[in-house]
Amino acid sequence: MGRQGLLKIFIPEEYGGSGAKIMDMCIACEEIARICAGAATAYAVGALGSGPIVHYANEEQKKKYLPKIATGELLCAFALTEASAGSDAANIQTTARKEGNYYILNGVKQFISNASVSDVYTILASTDKSRGARGISAFIIEKDMPGLSYGKEENKLGIRTSVTTELVFEECKVPKENLMGREGMGFIYTMRNFDRARPGVGAMALGITQGTFESVLDFTFKNDLLNNQYIQRSIADMATEIEAARALLYATARMIDSGAKAFSKESSFAKLYPSDIAMKITTEAIEIMGSYGVLKEYNIEKRLRDAKITQIYEGTNQIQRVIIALELTREIRKREKGKKWN
Amino acid sequence: MELNQECVLLQNELRKFTQQVILEKVDELDKTCSFPSDNIKQLAEMGILGAMVTEDMGGAALDLMGLVVSLEEIGKVCTSTAIIIATHNVLFINPILKFGSDEMKKKYLPPAATGEIIGGSANFTTNEITTEQQDENVLLNGKNPFVLNAEANGPFTMFLPTSEHKKEVSVFIVENPSPGVKISKNQNIIGLKAAGISEVIFKNYSVLSNTVIRKGHEGSAVLRETQDMARICFAAIALGIAQGATETAIKYAKERIQFNETIITFGMIREMIADMTTKIEAARLLTYNAAMKYDADKNYCRAAAIAKYFTGQAAVEITTSAIQILGGYGYMKDYPVERYFRDAQVINVLGDLPAEEKENIVRETIG
Repeated sequence: MGRQGLLKIFIPEEYGGSGAKIMDMCIACEEIARICAGAATAYAVGALGSGPIVHYANEEQKKKYLPKIATGELLCAFALTEASAGSDAANIQTTARKEGNYYILNGVKQFISNASVSDVYTILASTDKSRGARGISAFIIEKDMPGLSYGKEENKLGIRTSVTTELVFEECKVPKENLMGREGMGFIYTMRNFDRARPGVGAMALGITQGTFESVLDFTFKNDLLNNQYIQRSIADMATEIEAARALLYATARMIDSGAKAFSKESSFAKLYPSDIAMKITTEAIEIMGSYGVLKEYNIEKRLRDAKITQIYEGTNQIQRVIIALELTREIRKREKGKKWN
Repeated sequence: MELNQECVLLQNELRKFTQQVILEKVDELDKTCSFPSDNIKQLAEMGILGAMVTEDMGGAALDLMGLVVSLEEIGKVCTSTAIIIATHNVLFINPILKFGSDEMKKKYLPPAATGEIIGGSANFTTNEITTEQQDENVLLNGKNPFVLNAEANGPFTMFLPTSEHKKEVSVFIVENPSPGVKISKNQNIIGLKAAGISEVIFKNYSVLSNTVIRKGHEGSAVLRETQDMARICFAAIALGIAQGATETAIKYAKERIQFNETIITFGMIREMIADMTTKIEAARLLTYNAAMKYDADKNYCRAAAIAKYFTGQAAVEITTSAIQILGGYGYMKDYPVERYFRDAQVINVLGDLPAEEKENIVRETIG
């Protein structure tokens, strides 16, 4: 992917990239996931890991890491989740205590995509537990820093071509220059980074769905089923939903790329809907193909297994709904407040 | 719907057995795709392998409701074991028991009832077979990629349409092991990993006339009864899966703490659990209703089709929600919900295609 220039997509032009446009990332994720969502996950993690460096790191850090990430010389990943901090991401227990010119990190990051195969990680740790989410800071970690090791490798339902491993910090010594931005801002950087990255998950879900749809259409055509109205209903709905998902995704990508300031809600739309239809359509695809659908060689059951993760990672779809509802609440509050003043 | 005393006793016995014996082996069986011979042997001792076989042939002479309750309990813990039992009892034994010659019954039923042989069945919708008449016998060539219980390497039933729209069907027993029949490969299927479903290849296999159960229009009637009973049994297994997945999800949600509360306190989780339990309750009523109709000698075709359609879909939806409730953990093989999800997919498409299932319901409804 590096040789193809696909990793440049995450990086601005001045650091050797091709512009860090969300639209480009979406198209790449969709096309890769159309064939293999595991490979698309391994790819998109690069965006999740490099995003905070692009937007919140200082000039020196950017110059040090971004050009090499763009060429694929350095693979990067992102580590937030812990055993007790899934949906409740602010509840992380990993700590970073300052000692002279270093931060000393302790804790275990769980379910980390591309852990053990990456060179650079953007990770979150608490520098001040008393301040909760506002005491969380972001760090750039390199793989050979002393005290960093890899724990359990997960055995997953799907995206089995991507690696998911624990990242273990035991008195890990990190130079203070590797703090990203300001202490206590890590959680905010992360949430903003998620807003930019979520459409990538939507794009992956869309790619899985598109690949599935093409296979189903091929199967129904070859088996002379396209004149059956049960099948017609299914494939017509699939085609319509795919088109709607793509339009929603691209609209969100354009909105973010045009420089919009706030787009949490739209970004959640762009993850929620494509991933929900991915699950619906891959499930229905198996039903259309019947016993053949559950056989590995027809390559549909893999897509179903892969599709499920898109409803879970980078914020479960329940969390996406909470984000959307909170944004809508905020909007209506603002409107009501405005009325009072008028 | 109250179960009778006999069913309640059976249910309790199987619940104890599945929890104490099968539960600890199920992950390993799934991982290694191993046929659960030990489970089957122990279930044979409990009489489950000849569940509906008459007592004079060594069976337990249960009614269908007894088998349904058993399959639900076994399916709740190990779907692969449940599908082996269902295939053996309904797709293999029942056509012989109900429609076979005396000679056939004597030959196959006593060893099948004790589990000495495990009977299989070639999935009706995936025959890729050509036939050729040769004197008295019919020569088979081709394959079926989806033969249930193939790995047990015993005889299996086959339903081969001989005219359009299943109006005439040849129903016969394939002698196995025998020359001309090759259990070719253990299929790589999304679920039912331990059920020993394999592709079988036929090379000039000769169907002897004394292995033919029925043919023509009579064969079509055997296929219909077999499919209807199978629908009820598959629904029972799907019900077990749905129940097992829901219990796992509820247990997890009551323990998992996020945002300083157990996640069972959150409305979106509660809504999923409300949907899951409502579907299970409806599925159970539909499945038991179909079995009771069968046992009471009433027309049960429509009830069977509805039970399978609803319960198969419910199992898929419920297991999908169960993974969602467990979040990242649900996606990992450390918890059983991903296995329930994979197994539900297969149960849902076994037998007729879902579009065909719906068509059955419509036909039976509009007359």
